[in-house]
Amino acid sequence: MGKNNVEQMILNIPSDLKYLGAVDAAIQDLAREFSFSPDAINDVSTALVEACSNAIEHGNHFAKDKRVVVTLRFNGGDFVATVQDEGRGFDFAKALRDEAGPDPMSERGRGILIMRAFTDDLKFKCDDKGLTVELTKLRGGGGDAGQ
Amino acid sequence: MKITQREVGSAAILDLNGKLTGGPDADAFRDVFKSLLEQNKKHIIVNLEKVSWINSTGLGILIHNYNTVRGAGGDMVVMHASERIESILYVTKLNLLFKSFNSEDEAVRSFTAAR
Repeated sequence: MGKNNVEQMILNIPSDLKYLGAVDAAIQDLAREFSFSPDAINDVSTALVEACSNAIEHGNHFAKDKRVVVTLRFNGGDFVATVQDEGRGFDFAKALRDEAGPDPMSERGRGILIMRAFTDDLKFKCDDKGLTVELTKLRGGGGDAGQ
Repeated sequence: MKITQREVGSAAILDLNGKLTGGPDADAFRDVFKSLLEQNKKHIIVNLEKVSWINSTGLGILIHNYNTVRGAGGDMVVMHASERIESILYVTKLNLLFKSFNSEDEAVRSFTAAR
């Protein structure tokens, strides 16, 4: 695939965590193909796996009759992924405002923190089909995850 | 995810293999910790060397068991986390909660040093 072309791949997976490995392998291979750095590959795969985990667990509640649709798109070297579940969504505007994250001892509430840290842009959209998360990683971008 | 248990000195080491993502992993992990505490084994090292990745639910599993062990008067540390997992611990600030070691000897010694 050429670096300057728009290339797109769609994965349609069941609501089962065992398919996360397939998503991870797909994005790692594609990002490598588009010459993303090893750190950037780790970033996009971490954010994407987190988004898919949330879609399976919190969106579809592991329902066997519900699917998660993952679109991977490379555009001019930048990467945009969407993850769509069949759930009812949540108050993402409120969650996005909470930049501090949860209490350190809390067992939940770190999904958005992870997705935001490992991408350059994070968007949510909810309609009658379900919740869609859009993750953008710019080739030259860094996210906030650098130590 | 597979969990293999061994002991070094006063420490119980849990060698994890696979992906820590929730679902059945949570129950398996909780059962192992419960069993260890019932045997009064309160120094627990979670070896992440063969954990390819972890998501926020997996982090929740670690925190749950950390809280359980600490509540019982023990401690839990992690070792051999990959760069990918270290970066997740960093952005979620869990690096401030979990002591992380790159050496098994240091991880084992950390329990006696903390006394």
